[in-house]
Amino acid sequence: MPDICMYFQVHQPMRLRKFAIFGHNEEAWHERYFDAAKNRQIMEKVAEKCYRPTNRLLLELIDKYNGAFRVSFSLTGVFMEQCREYAPDVLESFAELYKTGSVEFLSETYYHSLASLFADKQEFAEQVKMHAKSLRDAGIEPSRVFRNTEALYSNEIGRLIESMGYEAAISEGWDHYLGWRSPNFVYRAKGEEGKRNLKLLLRNYKLSDDLSYRFSARWWPEYPLTADKYASWLAAAQGQCVNLFMDYETFGEHQWADTGIFEFLRHMPGEVLKHKNLEFSLPSEVVGKHAPADEVDIPHALTWADMERDTSAWLGNDMQRECFRMLENAAEQVKASGDDAAQHAWRLLQNSDHLYYLCTKSLADGDVHKYFSPYQNPYDGFINFMNILQDFREKIGRSA
Amino acid sequence: MPGANTTLSYVNEIARLTRGSWLNYADRRKMRVAMLGWEFPPFASGGLGVHCYELTRKLAEMGVQIDFYMPRCRERPRSLHPNLRIIEVDATTVNPYSGAKTQQLRETYGWSLFDAVASYNRLAVECVLAEIEKGAYYNVVHNHDWLTVAAAGELKMRQGLPLVFTVHSTEYDRASVPWDRLLSVERQGIAQADRVITVSNRMRERLMQMGAPDWKVRVIYNAVNGELYDKYDAWREKNRKIVLFLGRMVEQKGPMQFLYAAKKVSGRVPEARFVMAGTGDMLPQLISKSIELGLQDKVIFTGYLSEDEQRKAYAGSDVYVMPSVSEPFGITALEAMASGTPLIISKSSGVGEIVKNVLQVDFWDVDELSAKLIALLKYPALRREMSKEELKEVRKFTWSTTAAKTLEVYKEVAR
Repeated sequence: MPDICMYFQVHQPMRLRKFAIFGHNEEAWHERYFDAAKNRQIMEKVAEKCYRPTNRLLLELIDKYNGAFRVSFSLTGVFMEQCREYAPDVLESFAELYKTGSVEFLSETYYHSLASLFADKQEFAEQVKMHAKSLRDAGIEPSRVFRNTEALYSNEIGRLIESMGYEAAISEGWDHYLGWRSPNFVYRAKGEEGKRNLKLLLRNYKLSDDLSYRFSARWWPEYPLTADKYASWLAAAQGQCVNLFMDYETFGEHQWADTGIFEFLRHMPGEVLKHKNLEFSLPSEVVGKHAPADEVDIPHALTWADMERDTSAWLGNDMQRECFRMLENAAEQVKASGDDAAQHAWRLLQNSDHLYYLCTKSLADGDVHKYFSPYQNPYDGFINFMNILQDFREKIGRSA
Repeated sequence: MPGANTTLSYVNEIARLTRGSWLNYADRRKMRVAMLGWEFPPFASGGLGVHCYELTRKLAEMGVQIDFYMPRCRERPRSLHPNLRIIEVDATTVNPYSGAKTQQLRETYGWSLFDAVASYNRLAVECVLAEIEKGAYYNVVHNHDWLTVAAAGELKMRQGLPLVFTVHSTEYDRASVPWDRLLSVERQGIAQADRVITVSNRMRERLMQMGAPDWKVRVIYNAVNGELYDKYDAWREKNRKIVLFLGRMVEQKGPMQFLYAAKKVSGRVPEARFVMAGTGDMLPQLISKSIELGLQDKVIFTGYLSEDEQRKAYAGSDVYVMPSVSEPFGITALEAMASGTPLIISKSSGVGEIVKNVLQVDFWDVDELSAKLIALLKYPALRREMSKEELKEVRKFTWSTTAAKTLEVYKEVAR
């Protein structure tokens, strides 16, 4: 009897300003680099198209099925920060969902960063703590299940997460590491002679993408996807759990309302619950209920992005690696400056999205990168980001 | 025997209709083109010459038979394929596209440029008719730019030959004050043609403003023969902080914006050098401007460069800039890409519609151009990545594709 485990990622990056290298501005850190007007505008738009209507609908459904319909979220700190600034009601509606007891909020870094890849892991730990505090401020208790940025995971990151006291981590159910094994089981992180307790929940990318990516694709033979058809696929799945992980913006933003995505969501729980072998469960319930079926060895970084499922979407080319190095190398100076505003700006710059826009992979994935990018091409993105990073380095150097 | 007689006269009639050649009659499915051109390497000064050279070569390889008519010049062009005959028309050596000369001609001789063009057109018609008389059969006449419009029209009228007209540029793209008389020739060329080929969507729109109906216009992009540039990879020794401008020194190409950007960039990257390659009527003005801006040690004027020197210049530069005010296509952008040189191009260019791995700016935005130049000069990672990706991308733009699409257009109208 597989558990249907749904988790939605909620994130909005803090967009950068077009940095004018000929301007001689002496603005404060935040105004200097971030485009408040644009961030407000995007937040308001997505709140209207996605967050408000979907939260409302979920609340209704949880109520209707009396706790039998359960979902989990992960809200980044950057998202919560922008909510507080531009759309406080959205954050309140998440808190309301939490109060139903049928919704779980996963732990992650505040800044949606790749700090887990820094040589010094202290920064990562601090960002995770900040995230927990931000959730608690909103009245939400963070889960003992951890979701690293973009589902980034490796044996090494697993050790780090476990040492911080987490019970389980989310990642991708990628064939390269699973081999013949199905993602529909709870797995155990690779450790020395069974010393490890960290459990892994791996995304069923096929069934997840059917919804988040292919839902409105007319080229898809299964188009149109109806709730009863989807429920029948879930019912046919073998194993302990079917992990459906996706961006929350799938509802109303990536898939617009006119694709019928909200109608789908409205009917899906009912259709799923018609199947006697299916029930909805939260990530912490799934890992509590099932003993790990096997150990998975993930020696290299695994993520849920692009065809490669590695870090190449963020660190695949020289431009991206150069920026990442700049960010990492600034750590000491930032700490030494004792300037909180500078530290916050530096951490916001660590947002993985800024690196994602610089991706030059030209095949099908390039289109996805372009869809999300505010720049005409990755080179324009690099110029702006690098100009900002250089400016940051100079400015922090002067103040230190 | 009256019957036999009738048969014989019928056969004679067919022979006459097929220009006396049974072979032609049997082989009519083969595409035969009379192409009217103006320039052809080694005697070429711009995109038109490169286009004709590469196009005819690829068409010939695809089995199309081409008679390429062009003015006789000092250096003899050479056919590279048995399907391509180059027929030189004794007319003139005037080259209306080599900037300084044009201006000079306009000022000194007034309408004599038109006389030269008119005489070429007259003689070209005679040449084509003489070839037809000798037994040549053409399915279509293909002419390039305004220079050959008159001859093409005459051939259509006298022989009923279908016309394909390629517009590489219009008078609007070449002159800041367009010449009415040339515009009217171009309008006539569009009107008389059965199909008009042009090199970008922005040109398609322009032609439609000039009266071309939508159904008549086909956009076929130019390309680049990458092999010609691969040989120069030894010259790709980078990080010399050299920025290159290569083109005619005329307002349409934006050399003045380039100088102003050079000034701004020098303030941030003092070791940068700016090479301005090419000639044109603005050259004296640009030289004095560079001195006025205090750039005499930073800007290098090379004058005219041969093909070989051009390729070395591309390969040896860190950045290529094409700041054109108006660029129907912009083959130099593809040439720079084939050289692995990162480039910044004007948004007002046809090539910008198809290339991805380039930076684009508004031609008037000197600040933005300068900022991008500074970034390219300061950040080696950016240059490496652009170079790598553009070399991959440029392989997509082949003359075989251009030729295949051109052949499709021939088939639409061929008799």
